[in-house]
Formats: sequence, structure tokens, C-alpha cells
Amino acid sequence: MDAGLNESSNSFQSNGDLSQQNWGKGWFASVVQSWSKRLSIKQHPLEYIVLGITLTITLVFAFLIEGFATLGNLAIVAQNSTALVILSCGMAVVIITRGLDLSQISVMVAVSSVFGLLLSNGSDYSIAMLAAVFLAVILGLLNGWLIAFIEIPALLSTLATAMLIAGACRWGFLQGEFLVLIPKSLPIIEYISTGQMFGVPVSVVIGALVLIATSLLLNKTVLGRIVYAMGDNYIAARLTGLSVRMATVWVYVFSALTACIAGIIVSSASGTVDFRIVTNGTLLFEVIMVVVLGGIRLRGGRGGVVNLIIGVLLISVLRNGMTLMNLSGQVQDLVKGLVLISAIVIDNYINPRDTETDTQGDL
Amino acid sequence: MIKSLKRMAGLGIAAMMMAGVIAAPQTATAASAYEGKKVIFIPIAMGITLTEGWARRMEEQAKLHGFDFEVRDAAFNMKAMSEIFAKAINDKPDIIVAHNPTVQLLARQIRQAESKGIKVLQINLQSNQKSTAFVGANWSRIGNDVAEDIVAACGKGSGKSGKVAIVPGQLTAADSVLMNKATMAVFDKHPEITVVSNQASNWEPEKARQITATVLQQNPDLCAVFGHWGIHTIGAGNAVKDAGKADSVLVYATGGGNRLICKNIEDGVIDRYWSYNADGQGRDAGAMLRLMLQGATPAEGEMLEVESPLIVIKKESYSPQQCWDLPAK
Repeated sequence: MDAGLNESSNSFQSNGDLSQQNWGKGWFASVVQSWSKRLSIKQHPLEYIVLGITLTITLVFAFLIEGFATLGNLAIVAQNSTALVILSCGMAVVIITRGLDLSQISVMVAVSSVFGLLLSNGSDYSIAMLAAVFLAVILGLLNGWLIAFIEIPALLSTLATAMLIAGACRWGFLQGEFLVLIPKSLPIIEYISTGQMFGVPVSVVIGALVLIATSLLLNKTVLGRIVYAMGDNYIAARLTGLSVRMATVWVYVFSALTACIAGIIVSSASGTVDFRIVTNGTLLFEVIMVVVLGGIRLRGGRGGVVNLIIGVLLISVLRNGMTLMNLSGQVQDLVKGLVLISAIVIDNYINPRDTETDTQGDL
Repeated sequence: MIKSLKRMAGLGIAAMMMAGVIAAPQTATAASAYEGKKVIFIPIAMGITLTEGWARRMEEQAKLHGFDFEVRDAAFNMKAMSEIFAKAINDKPDIIVAHNPTVQLLARQIRQAESKGIKVLQINLQSNQKSTAFVGANWSRIGNDVAEDIVAACGKGSGKSGKVAIVPGQLTAADSVLMNKATMAVFDKHPEITVVSNQASNWEPEKARQITATVLQQNPDLCAVFGHWGIHTIGAGNAVKDAGKADSVLVYATGGGNRLICKNIEDGVIDRYWSYNADGQGRDAGAMLRLMLQGATPAEGEMLEVESPLIVIKKESYSPQQCWDLPAK
């Protein structure tokens, strides 16, 4: 028990929160110390490995591919990665609590189906958005309740709700169909898909806002502190009186809300809500890969928005470069798999087996 | 004289009918051919107008002629599709209607079914394995025709770059395999045409959008995008439209020609569309089922084939009558 509490408090330090020790040293010293810890290569070897790989790949692509190192392509990379960034924010918060949300893509499709159907039927966009947000909250509450109060492991409960939501969405909302057309001519859809704010695509601005919101949630709120405590040592967090059940519920609601935002952005851009993203697609694996490659451990308790950005950078640059190189989807999957395996192997080599926790590597 | 000849002819016809030589005996033969017979349709997925349209027309024939027709939906799950096919073979129907997702996936099972006396009708997407019958589009013809059209629009004398992006559904699906081959055969004769990208979208509009947006960024002078299926090409077309290039980049697609696609032609998302009219294909498949149940067999090593007629829908000459729709549920 004591060991657990100590481990928990270490986690707070490692995540840059002000510990008791830091109060006495003054604000500047504590900030410097906090950032030096954050940037320490010893503490975050995986992040540096992934960042190194990303930089190397970027340089190679810039040298080999015409049109890669341009501002226009950077905008495309950012636009194409927005949904991944937003979904990863939700998944990261869940994983930091030592959870997992396998229903995220099902929620995304269900919510955007409702959004699309309401718009197609002539509803006002504000009503369609409110309905989408409401449904996302309900689905997030369902996940949170199953995990926190019924105490079903996150892996199983979100797997079950993923299937439940997908089935209900297909037969309930889509009435057996697979596709909803989004009326692209609506000003709000046009604004989300092609609009710009200060010269930056609106979807990218939304992605950035979600990143900031995630950072604030993790670092500046009580819920954020509980999230890290739960991930570090759930039993200890619970025994110290933290409201871990309600925190779990809100974490899954947050994940569902990110799915809602991502769904609206994706469907506005492509002009469709495609149910096959659930059954066919690799989006969920990409989201988990971004989180893990960025250095957020599946064991929970560590990581933040910086990790997400690192993970997204690698996947987005890889995806963009390989598309420009005209590589087939199968080859792209192969390369992404190789990168993930390489990162895990290097990580295991750098972080040898810990006899105390009987774990190897940082992931 | 003429009157008596007519009377004699009338009597003759009546006598032949009574003896069962003209229409009545054929109908009786056909009716007995359908009795107690069972057909299982295994589509890649229901819920898309293509398969819903086929199933509706085949079911109509089944109800009309009294044979059993059952749909077993693989719901885009390839592993499930193999299992469903294996179960269908065990159930020993008279015919399995297979909608092959790739040229290889069901090849062994089609051979197995045929060897057990179960006739297999392949619909629209062929396997590497021949079976009793095939009803569907001639993908090589479509690939060739679209390529010729692209050459006319983007080739010599057009003043365009000649750059083309191809967005197949899945590289191992029959339509993509055959269309790619036919398209490239045409382009090879026209060195001014350059295929700058040929990447599968996994049938997903969003993936097609991302690929097209990326390719457009690298090739702002792109002349045409050829999406192998209308549904995922909606994503590619929207990428072109969102990039403000709807007037300079032609978007080509193929498909079953339902109303949903026509809406996108109306909206300027898709410019040129080769429709094989899924409703007509369903009717052809229903007729083929009846022939197969009546015992029609192909020549050794061949397949009974019905090639779907094509309707070319172009934005400039588009009319809503060129599309079809499922009746409201």
C-alpha cells in the first residue's frame, strides 16, 4: 500500500505537477526543474526515439519526394490528421487512467449518423449538433457506468458497447444501410470542411482547441490529477478518497465527446457518414498506435498532450509521404506495423526488465 | 378458302396445345424445376443499394416461381463471408449466389460447391475460379471506355497535363484488377497520360478523400480522378470540390447507378459515371437463376454469362431518368 502511494506521488512529479519539495524553491526554479524533467531523455527515451524517427523520415521524404516539403502539403498533413488528433486526445485520457475505449469509432459513426440524418431531413444545424453531443454524452455515460459501477474491465465493456452501438446504429438510425450523405451545400458543413480562421483551416483550429482542452483537463483540473493518480495506482487512489468512479465516468464521456467532434469533421469533409469505418477501417488501431508511440504507457499514469503530438507527427508524416510515393495500402500498413514493432523493441532494449514490477519496456 | 385455312390452323394450334406441344408443357416443366429448390445469396454486405437492388429482383423471381431464396449477409466481414459460404455448402442449396470481395477469397469454396453439385452464380465481381454462371458488368470494357474518355479529355490536343489519379476500392477485387489492367493498356498507348497515383481506398469515402487531397496538393494540374466505385469516389470528388478544382479536374466513377450517386452528379461531385444499372442486373440474375434451376449448363470449361448493358451518365447531359431507386420501405 505504501509503495503504491509513493509510486503515485512520483507520478505527479514526473508529470510536472508542483510537489511539496518544489514549493520552497521559488516559482522559476520549480518551472525549470519541471521542464527539465519533462524534457529529460532519461525519463522519456521512447518520445525521443519516435521524434528522432519522425525527423529522419521527414528529411528522407523531403529529399526524395517532390512536393513533400511545402507549406501546402503541411496544410494537407494537418487537415488529414485532425480526426486522428482529436480521437487520440480522448483515447489518451482514457489510457492514462489505465483504461481503453474500443467503442470510440462506433460512437463516432453513431453520433455523426444522427448528425447527418438530422441535417438531411432539414433540421437546423444547431439542433443536429446538440443531438449529436447529447448522444455522445449518453454513450460515454454508458461506458463509464459499466466500467466504474458495474466494474466490467474496460477492454470487455467497451468491446461490447462498440458492437452494441454499431448494431443499434446500423439497424436503428441507418435502417440497415451503410451510408448517410451529408448535404455539403449547407453553410455550416462548407465552413467546417473548407473554411479558414486566420489562414488556418477550421478543422485544424478545432483540432488545436481540442488539444488545448485536453492539456488543460490533464494539467489544470482536479479531474486531471485524479486521472494520473488512477493510472499510477488505482487502488491507492481509491483508498485515499479520490472519486475514482465519477472520474472514470467523466473520462469516458470526454472520449465520446472527442469522437463526436471527430465524426462531425470527418463527415463534413468527405460528405458522407460511412458505417464501414467501424467494420472495415483501421482508424481505431491508428488512434491506439498514436497514443502508444507517443509514449503514453498502456499501464497508465503517464503522458500528456506532447506525447500525442509526437505520435501523430510520426503517423501523419508516414501516411502522407507514403501516399505521395504512391505506395499501396498494404505496404503502408506493413511499414506502420514495422515502425510500431521497432519502437517497442528499441524501448524494451532501453528499458530492461524491471524486477520490482516484472515489466519490460515503457509501453 | 382463307376462312377454312384459318379454322384449320386454329384447330391445329388447339390440338397442339392440348397435346402439350406449345406453351403449356414448357411452363409445367419450368414449374417442376423450381419446386422445393433453394437459392442462397451471399453478398459482401446488404444495406447498399447495389445488393439490396439485386436481392429485391431475385426475391421477386423466387416468389413468382415458388423457389426458396435466402440472403446471408457478410456485412463487410471477409472472415465471416468465408464461414457463411462454408455453412451454405453444408446446407446443400441448389444454387449459391456469390458476390466475391476479391478474386481469391472464395475461389476454393466455389470449386468445392460446384464439385458437390451446388451451382454457383457469381454476381458482378468474379473470382479466379470459374463456376456455372456469371451475371454482371464487363469490367474490362468499362476500364477501356473510361480510359479512352480520359485520353480524349486529358490527352494530346486537350491542353491538359495528362495527369490521372486512380482510386480503386481494393486492389485484389475483380473490378479493380480488370479495370486497372484495361485502363493501363489504353494509357500505355498514350505516353502523354501519366498515372500519378493508384492507391486503394478500401472502399471508404474518407480514405479516398485523403488520398485525393494529398495527390491534388502534389499535382495541382491533375486532369482526372478515376474512382472505381461511385460510393468511395464521393470522398474523392469532395476533395476536388473543396480544393476549388471542380472545373479543372474531371471525376470519373462506376457503379450501380442509383439515385444517391445521381445526387452527387447533380451536385457536381462526380462528372462522368459508367452505370451498369444494378436494378437491371438483379432482373438478369433472377432470370439466370431460373435457367440454372431448369438445368442450363455451360459448355465445358466455360460459364453462362450475361453482360450488363452500360449507361454512361455525364454531368453535362445528365437526366434523373438515367438513375434508379429502391422503393421506399
